[in-house]
Amino acid sequence: MKKSIVILLTLAMLCTLFVPALAEEKAVGWNNVNAEGYVYPDYSGQTMSIMWWGSDTRAKITEEVIHLWEEKTGAKVEFEYYDGSTYWTQFQAKMAANDLTDVFQMGNNWLTYYETIEPLNKYVESGIIDTTAIGPAMIATTVNQANGDITGISNGTNARCFAYNPAIFDECGVPYPTLNWTWDDFASACRTITEKTGNPAVTTLEYNSLAYSVFTQWQEGYNFYTMDGTGFAFDDDTAPLAFLFELLTELQEEGAIADYGIQNEIGSNVEADWIASGEAAIMMLSSNQFQALSNVAAENGIELELCTIPRVSPDGQSGMVVRSSQQMSIWKGSEKKEMAANFINYFINSIEANKILNCERGVSINSDVLAALKADSEKTNSVTAKVYTIIDTIGSFADAANTSPAEPAANEEISDVLKKTYFQGLAEGKFESAQEAADQFWAQAQEIWQKHAQ
Amino acid sequence: MQATRRKPGGRLQGSFLYRDNTVGYVFAAPFIISFLALTMVPMGLSLYYSFCTYKIAADPVWIGLKNYADLMRDATFGNSLLVTIQYVVIGVPLKLIFALLIAVLLTKPTRAQGLYRAVYYIPSLIGGSVAVALVWKQLFGSRGPIVTLIKALGVKGFNFFGSTTWAFVPLVLCNAWQFGSSMLIFASGLKQISKEYYEAAEIDGANAVKRFFRITLPILSPIILFNLIMQLISGFMTFTQAQIITDGGPNYATNYIALNIFKEGFAYQHMGYACAQSWIMLLIMAAVTGIIFKTSSSWTFYES
Repeated sequence: MKKSIVILLTLAMLCTLFVPALAEEKAVGWNNVNAEGYVYPDYSGQTMSIMWWGSDTRAKITEEVIHLWEEKTGAKVEFEYYDGSTYWTQFQAKMAANDLTDVFQMGNNWLTYYETIEPLNKYVESGIIDTTAIGPAMIATTVNQANGDITGISNGTNARCFAYNPAIFDECGVPYPTLNWTWDDFASACRTITEKTGNPAVTTLEYNSLAYSVFTQWQEGYNFYTMDGTGFAFDDDTAPLAFLFELLTELQEEGAIADYGIQNEIGSNVEADWIASGEAAIMMLSSNQFQALSNVAAENGIELELCTIPRVSPDGQSGMVVRSSQQMSIWKGSEKKEMAANFINYFINSIEANKILNCERGVSINSDVLAALKADSEKTNSVTAKVYTIIDTIGSFADAANTSPAEPAANEEISDVLKKTYFQGLAEGKFESAQEAADQFWAQAQEIWQKHAQ
Repeated sequence: MQATRRKPGGRLQGSFLYRDNTVGYVFAAPFIISFLALTMVPMGLSLYYSFCTYKIAADPVWIGLKNYADLMRDATFGNSLLVTIQYVVIGVPLKLIFALLIAVLLTKPTRAQGLYRAVYYIPSLIGGSVAVALVWKQLFGSRGPIVTLIKALGVKGFNFFGSTTWAFVPLVLCNAWQFGSSMLIFASGLKQISKEYYEAAEIDGANAVKRFFRITLPILSPIILFNLIMQLISGFMTFTQAQIITDGGPNYATNYIALNIFKEGFAYQHMGYACAQSWIMLLIMAAVTGIIFKTSSSWTFYES
């Protein structure tokens, strides 16, 4: 009797040894959730957890997708979500307590939280996360170039760009922005609009990313951070920054750009921007925020358009790049990694799920999903079409590949200091000149970099 | 008193469970345990981290006094200290004067006295909450009623939160508006003052102002001391309003020290440096309260 049990157990153990071997023989694309007759894994009675940041709209649609997956797999998914800034505080508290969620939304700042992230290479290689309909360039947007680790799967692509209200441009007799409009064009548009409407023409600008763009535009080969985010890449040349300091400070003094109080009131809440209520004409945003902004604007009878970031010279570099807007990552300490990988596979690849999500997190990186969305006129209306167009346009710029999307660990502090100490300090007259501010910033940025390198 | 108590059965005489002190310890245990675990241990840790470079979830690395040396030449930190002191020096007296004034008014016995006290206490009940901060952000915001009014008076382009000179005003007012708890303490203090003093003074011909300054204030001085200390401490730790309403701006004009510590620790990942700032802040607060206690004997008056 006993012997037979031992033999049985040994056999059972031997069988499990073959499981990985069998898995490797699975056909490419075996876990394609869109395939006909796809059988969902059974996770009855099992629980996993997920957290993300974003608007209420995002919370609603994400919840819906989570419930769909729960129905299909029998799993239970616990979820929590926060606004953009609270999210990172929560994240760090959970990180300190070693109690993160199995899946979490992660930004391009993943280098800052690198030690919490499980590299997804083996899940992609084994096909649990099916990448047959995702281009290698799209996978690369979330790869650590230094060691090849896949830090997450992109939830979609976006690009920083400008939104404008053509009606106000018409009213003030200002020509619409072109694909290669310059900072001079931008300045004169702002001045004319402010003069005619009495309101600031611009109410939201992302100062740090504008500055980074200008570095790239300044001269081929320049970037603020190197491509892999391991240092700076502009040869100590602070002229680009001084140029932008001078221009934006002047426009703000003239009232063409809203003061920092107004900009802070709006904060990261695009729906609150004055452009949505018809008072401002231009704002800066990430392309995936355009849907939410347009929804509010439409309530006020306003139709908005997207355009590129102004350039230093019309035939120079764009300083723009299509990047991963954010990604889904798996926690290194998770005990449900395979389940988590299956969830991400569904979340990123399922056409059904993405018809609900509808590129709110960015333009889908899965070509099947994107094709299905574009073919569905209910999902692709005039607003989403504009987002697709601007992403395609920026992606087609020859120089987009020269623009570094890197956000190193020191970036949070450097960009904050750039805005608060230097842009805002200049507005308060704390520096003799824009050039002096630029030089002091560069000295401080290097100091901050050193602190983080320790 | 006897240290042990004799039980009728006599068997448990002297047993630990039957000592008087034991009951006290048992009842105090939840506080003592949570105080040790949730206050003393984190404080000890933060003191240790203040001598380290420490990023959450990474191992702390001992660097000695470097954090403190860096703090000495950190302009942002210096500015934070300065604006915090400005906030405290202007905000705390304002709040106390307000609280005392309302408390004095409310000691006049009317039938609605209870109602008034409750009404004035409501702002403190909703306290330092995020919701209140959001309301004040709207109220004093660039399109809010107050700025609209100021603009209607002919001031062009005015905006509280866009100006380094004015940004702190709404924050101080928001704090002063939540005077309820100080007011209640003042009110109970006022009740204790014997009516005989006032009657005697009145007969001697003292008017209301004189009575207030010669009788009310001196007798109330220990309570003023208490309120002053409490409000100073909470003033130094002000955080929510600045974070929600101004995010410390513009150009660090409202970057109060608690907010600066939060940013250093959680946003910039310099937890050790943030801990060092907390300890400097603790030392400053201790020094200020110490000085006030030391000098209080010359301006507080105890009746008995």
